[in-house]
Amino acid sequence: MKTIIAERPFEGNFFSKVIFGFKSLIKGMGITFGYLVHPSTVVTQQYPENRKTLKISDRARNQLVFNLDENNYHKCTACHICEQQCPNGSIHVLERKKPASAKVELDTFIWRLDSCTFCNVCVMVCPFQVLKMTQDFESSVFDQKLLIYNLTPYAGPTSTVLNKIVEPEERKKMIEPRGQYSGPTALAGFHIAGISKQVFQETEQRKDQK
Amino acid sequence: MSTPSISQDIMTNLGNSPGISLALFLGGLIGAVAFMAIAGLILIYAERKICAHFQCRLGPMRVGWHGILQSVADTIKLLMKEDIVPYAADKFMHALAPIVALAAALMTLIAIPMSAKITLADSNIGVLYISAISGIGVLGILLGGWSSNNKWSMLGAMRAGAQIISYELSATLSILAIVMLSGSLKISTIIQSQEAGWWIWRAPVVGLVAFLSFLISSTAEVNRTPFDLAEGESELAAGFHTEYSGMRFAFFFLAEYLNLFIVSALGATLFLGGWMPFHLGEWTMFNQIMDLIPQSIWFLGKTSFMIFVSMWFRWTFPRLRVDQLMKLEWKVLLPIGFVNLLLCAFMTLFGFYFFSTTTRGF
Repeated sequence: MKTIIAERPFEGNFFSKVIFGFKSLIKGMGITFGYLVHPSTVVTQQYPENRKTLKISDRARNQLVFNLDENNYHKCTACHICEQQCPNGSIHVLERKKPASAKVELDTFIWRLDSCTFCNVCVMVCPFQVLKMTQDFESSVFDQKLLIYNLTPYAGPTSTVLNKIVEPEERKKMIEPRGQYSGPTALAGFHIAGISKQVFQETEQRKDQK
Repeated sequence: MSTPSISQDIMTNLGNSPGISLALFLGGLIGAVAFMAIAGLILIYAERKICAHFQCRLGPMRVGWHGILQSVADTIKLLMKEDIVPYAADKFMHALAPIVALAAALMTLIAIPMSAKITLADSNIGVLYISAISGIGVLGILLGGWSSNNKWSMLGAMRAGAQIISYELSATLSILAIVMLSGSLKISTIIQSQEAGWWIWRAPVVGLVAFLSFLISSTAEVNRTPFDLAEGESELAAGFHTEYSGMRFAFFFLAEYLNLFIVSALGATLFLGGWMPFHLGEWTMFNQIMDLIPQSIWFLGKTSFMIFVSMWFRWTFPRLRVDQLMKLEWKVLLPIGFVNLLLCAFMTLFGFYFFSTTTRGF
């Protein structure tokens, strides 16, 4: 293991100390002067005006989305790991029973932006790399209810299952489309009009049985 | 020897009646106040822009072209803000403090000549007057800190007091070197004595050392970073002006920037020749070309340079600790200042500087 030794403070007589001090100050002034005369070093972005040319870091985490393949199919198996690991309880994975089998598949993937801290844990724990964070940061809305999203575009099996089926009609039978705001919301009494509570309750009951 | 100033011109032409004296006094006062307000606005805008670019930012960009009206907008905001006075504060002192701070700055401002003609007060003890009056500014800070009845304000004010008492010494020692070389306390004479060249380079080494010493101690005197212990926002909230808001805060703010202008102008006057163009001894041709540029442009250019250097310091250096601050003054600057003064005395005595005309002193 490499040992790091801290640099000793400058030692010397009075004059060499003064000269050393001046040298280091002038070095610092050179750096800041370089920033002053090179406007290219400015990092500030004039945001609303430069919306089209905005540069955002690749590491920015602003919106949780699903990794979808070319047919808009995801790989989520509704394993609930992200839901269990989420420190704020911002994720609710709702499942439905597969037809003619005892297994379950994903129905709705609810993500609560209003309580999310963008810690990236859900992305890291997902065994199938279903989730990712994007740089789309303009997520403000006029109603808090609109911050509770559904992330999956359909309820149904994973892309591995769907892509094996050749017939498009067969595929369509297996899946049911879901919109951003369709499906129940996770917060009790915090429901969006026209959405039933039924699926949510069924999932909760199934979890209790486990 | 010196060119008569505007006031002297009018005096000689119109006679010395009390009415005219009063009119001149009021005119000068209004001019100084107007200058003060405009200089404050410009300096605050310049500081914000320059500091932003030192830190890879843009600074004000929204109000007007490149935020040029930002400080006007801020002034309007401060004017309309509620003026809060703490319940347990000494009301009279609390109100008096910003006025003292601003008045001291204004009183110093009138003694600084901007060109041979634009000179409000050319006293024969000009330098002494400026060093004495600029010390009153700290009285405003002390009063404000004490009367706020707040521990942070109090600590900030005490720090400011200790700091200014210490650094006045170095500032005065470096000013004394110039007074010695030019042989006068009168500011117009000091400027005239730099006709053959500015003291910063005409007095070899001594001039430069005195200039650097003055630069450091004047930065400390106006409480700017790296010596802004009186404010020290990471330690003392906002220091002496924690309890000030609205217009009273604006007064302190304005006084701070005026003091910056004053010390920069004083540094430019003493070491860089004030309004005196860049002359080189007996090179008449060169000197005449330099004289084509107006005196006030020379003055403003030099002062702007000094202000820029101050801002450069502020946005580059980290703040000192209190013990480091005192160590720098008493153990470093003061001994250097004394030795420098001694060397300067010998230099003056033997006429040992560039373009020395006589062996003055014998």
